[in-house]
Amino acid sequence: MIIYILLPDKINAGKKKPIVIPARNLLILLTGFFFYAWGEPFYMILMLFSTAIDYFAGRFMAKYDDNQKKRTICLLVSVIMNVGLLAIFKYSDFFIDTINSIFKSDITNPIILVNRWINENIYDFGLTEDRVALPIGISFFTFQSMSYTIDLYLRNIKVQKSFIGFTSYVTLFPQIVAGPIVRYEDVAAEINERTVNINKISEGIGKFVKGLAKKVLLANNIGIIWTQIKAMDYSEISVATAWIGILAFTFQIYFDFSGYSDMAVGLGKMLGFNFPQNFDHPYMSKSISEFWRRWHITLGTWFREYVYIPLGGNRKGKGKTLRNLLIVWGLTGLWHGASWNFILWGLYFGVLIIIERLGWGKVLEKLPTPISTLYTFLLAVFGWVLFDTNTLSDAFRYFGAMFGATGVLADSTATYMFTTNIVIFALCIFASTDWFMTLVNLIKKKKEKFVTCATPVLIVAMLLLCTSYLVDATYNPFLYFRF
Amino acid sequence: MHMKKTKKLNVVNLITCIAFFGILIAFPIVTAIAPKETFSDIENRTLQTMPKASVKTIYDRSYMNKLETYISDHFAGRTDWIKVKTAVETMAGKYERNGIYILDDRLVEKVSEPDYTAIDKSISAINKFVENNNVPVYFMLAPTSAEIYREQLPESAPNVNQRDFINYVYGGLSKAVSTIDVYSAMQSEKFDYIYYRTDHHWTTHGAYYAYEAAAKKMGYEPVPEEMYDIEHASDEFLGTFYSKALYDGVEKDSIDIYHYNGGSSVTDVLITSEYGKAPESYDSMYFREYLDVKDKYSTFLGTNQPLVTIKTNSEGGKLLMFKDSYAHCYVPFLTQHYSEITLVDMRYIQMSYKNVVNPEDYDQVMFLYNASSFMTDVNIRKLAYG
Repeated sequence: MIIYILLPDKINAGKKKPIVIPARNLLILLTGFFFYAWGEPFYMILMLFSTAIDYFAGRFMAKYDDNQKKRTICLLVSVIMNVGLLAIFKYSDFFIDTINSIFKSDITNPIILVNRWINENIYDFGLTEDRVALPIGISFFTFQSMSYTIDLYLRNIKVQKSFIGFTSYVTLFPQIVAGPIVRYEDVAAEINERTVNINKISEGIGKFVKGLAKKVLLANNIGIIWTQIKAMDYSEISVATAWIGILAFTFQIYFDFSGYSDMAVGLGKMLGFNFPQNFDHPYMSKSISEFWRRWHITLGTWFREYVYIPLGGNRKGKGKTLRNLLIVWGLTGLWHGASWNFILWGLYFGVLIIIERLGWGKVLEKLPTPISTLYTFLLAVFGWVLFDTNTLSDAFRYFGAMFGATGVLADSTATYMFTTNIVIFALCIFASTDWFMTLVNLIKKKKEKFVTCATPVLIVAMLLLCTSYLVDATYNPFLYFRF
Repeated sequence: MHMKKTKKLNVVNLITCIAFFGILIAFPIVTAIAPKETFSDIENRTLQTMPKASVKTIYDRSYMNKLETYISDHFAGRTDWIKVKTAVETMAGKYERNGIYILDDRLVEKVSEPDYTAIDKSISAINKFVENNNVPVYFMLAPTSAEIYREQLPESAPNVNQRDFINYVYGGLSKAVSTIDVYSAMQSEKFDYIYYRTDHHWTTHGAYYAYEAAAKKMGYEPVPEEMYDIEHASDEFLGTFYSKALYDGVEKDSIDIYHYNGGSSVTDVLITSEYGKAPESYDSMYFREYLDVKDKYSTFLGTNQPLVTIKTNSEGGKLLMFKDSYAHCYVPFLTQHYSEITLVDMRYIQMSYKNVVNPEDYDQVMFLYNASSFMTDVNIRKLAYG
């Protein structure tokens, strides 16, 4: 729905003939603010504040170009502020819960205390939660801002002098909610100079609608299965139910996340930006290392560029490499959410990648493709159990159910879930591969006209179908039968 | 040659752009100018009105949430969009929507496993009632269409076995209660039009079989069905199941009214619409104004009310009935056998039923519920307060 409201703005941005970049950046910025304020009116201030700090850190760094000490201070201010925001708004509850459970103490999160104090003494915002609310997109915009100051420090990029230019980069609304993490370097040139034309817009539309369809038609629907199974008692579900559930989640998270990324990339294209690709058919990977080169690519790049390599990468001996890998993967896990499940999930992949580096990877390469693909896919699926169960003990009970701890192989729940969702599972499997594009290219060779003309038809059909699914999500018959 | 190719691509791309933005702009505009309803008949709820913006409402996001609801509630062609989705889903082999199963020629509801501690409370309340009142008690627990047509359900679809449930309830009732086996009657007539295809009620024809099954046990001969003049009052009925599933592949239902001219007739229908208020008097059990609205089943005795008394010029005794809306098209058959029938809906009775009726003033007491509503109704237990 929001997209619908936002669109008229964007057309202006796209079609203004004399391409006045600052004006368009301002428009993007305002749209970004509007969009952000729509979801998070209060945290707008937070985002403005952090953007301003990063902007001035950048300006000062450029000003004291030959004073390395001052440059370092500027960088530290920016990094500490961004990591600090994450620590406060994303991790403080987790941190304090962990302390409380270790020391059996009962500390209240200071943020909550501040929150209450503001409510009681300054203005009653009605913020009464006992948990810190996570500002939308905080994991993304902090990482993006840091990519700017770090790269500036490393002299990889030039300073952005225009405040509007910089702010429009941080608030680039297409990707603020769910990525991709666009490094400043990726769009540095385009912030100052970019062109928009019908072909690009149309390409962007295609990408956007593809993403929308992934999210609305695939992720949302297969997600219903997981929502149901996740809520069941894991000590009672059958083996088949457990597998259907986690496979549903496997596809749900992929299509949800990559759908959002596609939409962002598509919107970016319409505005004249080329955002980096975030997913590349990860479930076709033949090893875990490859999986992470195809899954959430921009996050992997970020950690490689700004954590792994600065720590020394793999060039400082085996011991350090091992340490660096574990740090990066622990952080990757933690980035996804504040709980032990996520940390363990990250480390799980870290360990798998280390094993592959120690020689197992060579063996995998020699295996037939179906076997190594299945191997990678199954390990990813096991990862999702850790990822999306609520606690570690839930995760292990779920693993138990998958391997027959409940002693029931299949029951009517599993049969029903399977038979009613067989089509959507088939579609998800198909859409996880690159078979569709291969097929399109094959037809294109023979009947190019057909493909060219069929594309807009397909796009419109998908858009309309998505609309019907979105409208249905709001259908809410109030008929608790009054017999 | 090369030039021509790029030009063609441009045209196609232009079409894509126009179509995309056209769609995205057209819907908000059509939605904005289209006349707004305030109430959705089909969803049976009031729609969101245009919210007012203020610091407070923007701050706590209620303005944004309401505006989003407003747009979606009034979205142009809303139900048609939803029907598209239903059609696509059924094509993909998914025959369940909003708690409704789509069968070959009808919709039925998905009945979930009941909470047996709650059921036991209802049963013991009824037993208490029997203990407290010296009057013969009859009990009819009717299966719903989900049970009778269960073999048509999607493969392995979860659905409670109502036959077992009915046996459980009958087994728990005191020996003094005469239970009426309506399950077998419905089961053997399943190829007749005994349940609505799009609604959760039984049809008048179905209710007739229930009446036939109960008659002998309650001490009278049923009027043979061929003695009735059957009036097809409407064949445009789309009931609650339809509203939930929004599936057009099922035939509309008809509302049939049975007229019997040979016997006694109704002299007065007294309806207490609000607890504690004086009853209003009507001359018919049928409220034909409902034939023109969505909720056509309410033609039978109107909507659910706390207390309804029907008086006839029959020589028969007096019947007290505790019931749900399955009784509404069943009661007309009884008017040949009783001089007075009182219907009590426990959902609208505060505290004790003794405040509205004294069961010992009646010759017989009958309970009529369908299995699905008996499973979820938490008001039956109020019968324990005598």
